[in-house]
Amino acid sequence: MSATTAPSSTETVLAPTSRWHGLLRRHLAMPGILAAALLGTYLWVASLSLDDIERRSLNAGYLLRTINQHLMLTALTTLLVVVIAIGGGILLTRPGMRRLAPVATGLANIGQATPAIGLLVLLSIWLGIGFSTALIGLVAYSVLPVLHNTIVGINQVDRYLIEAGRGIGMSPGAVLLRIELPLAVPVILAGVRTALVLAVGVATLATFINAGGLGALIVTGIKLQRESVLVVGAVLTGALALTLDWLGGVVADLLRPRGLD
Amino acid sequence: MTENVMIDLQQVSKFYRGQKAPAVENVSMTIRRGEIVVLVGPSGCGKTTTMKMINRLIEPSSGLIRLDGSDVTSLDGNELRRRVGYVIQQVGLFPHMTVATNVGLVPRMLGWDRRRTEARVDELLDLVGLDPAQYRNRLPRQLSGGQQQRVGVARALAADPPVMLMDEPFGATDPLTRDRLQNEFLRLQEKLRKTIVFVTHDFDEAIKMGTRIAVLGERSKIRQFDTPERLLANPADSTVAQFIGAGASLKRLNLRRMNEIPWEDAATVQVGHSPASALRRLDETGESAVLTVDPDGRPLRWVTPRDLEPGQDSLDGVGTTATVVEPQATLHDALDAILASSCGATVVVDERGRYQGVVTIDDLMRAISEMRASERANDQPLAETPARRSAAGPTVARQARRS
Repeated sequence: MSATTAPSSTETVLAPTSRWHGLLRRHLAMPGILAAALLGTYLWVASLSLDDIERRSLNAGYLLRTINQHLMLTALTTLLVVVIAIGGGILLTRPGMRRLAPVATGLANIGQATPAIGLLVLLSIWLGIGFSTALIGLVAYSVLPVLHNTIVGINQVDRYLIEAGRGIGMSPGAVLLRIELPLAVPVILAGVRTALVLAVGVATLATFINAGGLGALIVTGIKLQRESVLVVGAVLTGALALTLDWLGGVVADLLRPRGLD
Repeated sequence: MTENVMIDLQQVSKFYRGQKAPAVENVSMTIRRGEIVVLVGPSGCGKTTTMKMINRLIEPSSGLIRLDGSDVTSLDGNELRRRVGYVIQQVGLFPHMTVATNVGLVPRMLGWDRRRTEARVDELLDLVGLDPAQYRNRLPRQLSGGQQQRVGVARALAADPPVMLMDEPFGATDPLTRDRLQNEFLRLQEKLRKTIVFVTHDFDEAIKMGTRIAVLGERSKIRQFDTPERLLANPADSTVAQFIGAGASLKRLNLRRMNEIPWEDAATVQVGHSPASALRRLDETGESAVLTVDPDGRPLRWVTPRDLEPGQDSLDGVGTTATVVEPQATLHDALDAILASSCGATVVVDERGRYQGVVTIDDLMRAISEMRASERANDQPLAETPARRSAAGPTVARQARRS
């Protein structure tokens, strides 16, 4: 058969080493910035002489507890959102269910469009205050980006690839697992990242329905006019959101299918 | 007779909900083992739908489709499709899998172990002309369009299916690549002898590829189902004649290939040799031009004594570029190549591009007149088939040429 001359640019097949190099280069800056910001805040607080009220909030035990509450809220929200929204997105892209997709995204849109604090308060009237109510509110609030991105991510997979898969005898399940989902991963993960950052921010409101979290620091700071408490709460929330966003970026890079530009 | 039939469609129709007219209506057709049947027709005539019903990517609404004797609707759809090769215009290689994974998908689904699959992948890449060591681990986007389509063909052949369905497989490539892929595929088919259903809207491609051609009209209605020769000589009705288009005699050149006509020998000389030795070759052979070839035997240029100026010490770059055709190329391709070169001849090369022989414009004319004569002889028994058609045929053909 005809002599096929190799274009020289195709000699490298994304060697793993280059992948790690790129990963380090792209993701090294953020941890540095975060560490600097946290250290700066610590040094500033350490230089202040704290009164009783401030000391009640700004001690390691209390801070760790609020961070832990905040993380739990965020982590559980993310887990539930991933299960509900990715599962739902897959269902809503199957041939029989496709017609329902606009209805579902419409519903998810309502959850997102309602002001978060209003949503939490309404839910607490209905379900009572506490952690699980906050969780439900957060989930309702963050489902949309993941659901939407899952649907878009799967629908943007070239339909010829699906036809080719079916044509060579792959079952619909195999087409989903081996073709549609891997190729939709970047878009889906972008949605998850957005949802994570949203959840961290909205979780500060959980304190209003007695579900704890870093919001407690911010509210204390405002109510009792203690700037140091307010700043620490805000910095920690911001740092947490940026850390999770950074983690999401790293994961997205690791899971990105090869062969896509 | 039934032993010979590979695919049998009987009164097959396809209705879509909400559409009054069927997409495909009562198509009956038998396809014999080892032949390439081309379904050709205007866009939207249902030719692709007809083809996809064979591997049940589209379920037929009514009628019977038998594949190698068994009713396809009685088989599991996925298993059926693993036994039928499938190539589409868009190729459809999975971009996140290597060439080897893509090609090995069907064998893996059939439960072959890793080693057997790997060996088969290498064998197939070799078969379609891609060096396994070089291409096995590449990703589809690292291949040219032509290479991608070769991998697509390799993937379809992976489990050695007796039947292949090809939906405009070469439609998305540029004309040059397309020609090469067609030739390569015909060469493969000489070895493999698959039963192939080939869909295209390009009548010239149909003539080149088809053992038999089915010209389809609206709703996949078969207007004529015959060999390319008979189709060109006797179009069944004016629609078919229109579809064949103008220049039917030129198109008949597509019916014969270079490996069916005699070639001549040219005087060749290695490009590394001296101009003097080229002149000596010309004297020895009495030819008017000598063909320079590279160390691997690939033809380069035609050199006439006029091209050789005194004092020249190398044959490199001297003369006019030679055009080449492969043995699978049609006389039409050859005529084109001859016209493209200014020497009235084209060089026949093998798959590696090495010199095999030469065909001049005179050889071509001789082949054409022989073709005409043998067609006239073949047309005689046709008079015994229904008189209406053989009588109508030539007039329609003539009208077509005039229009």
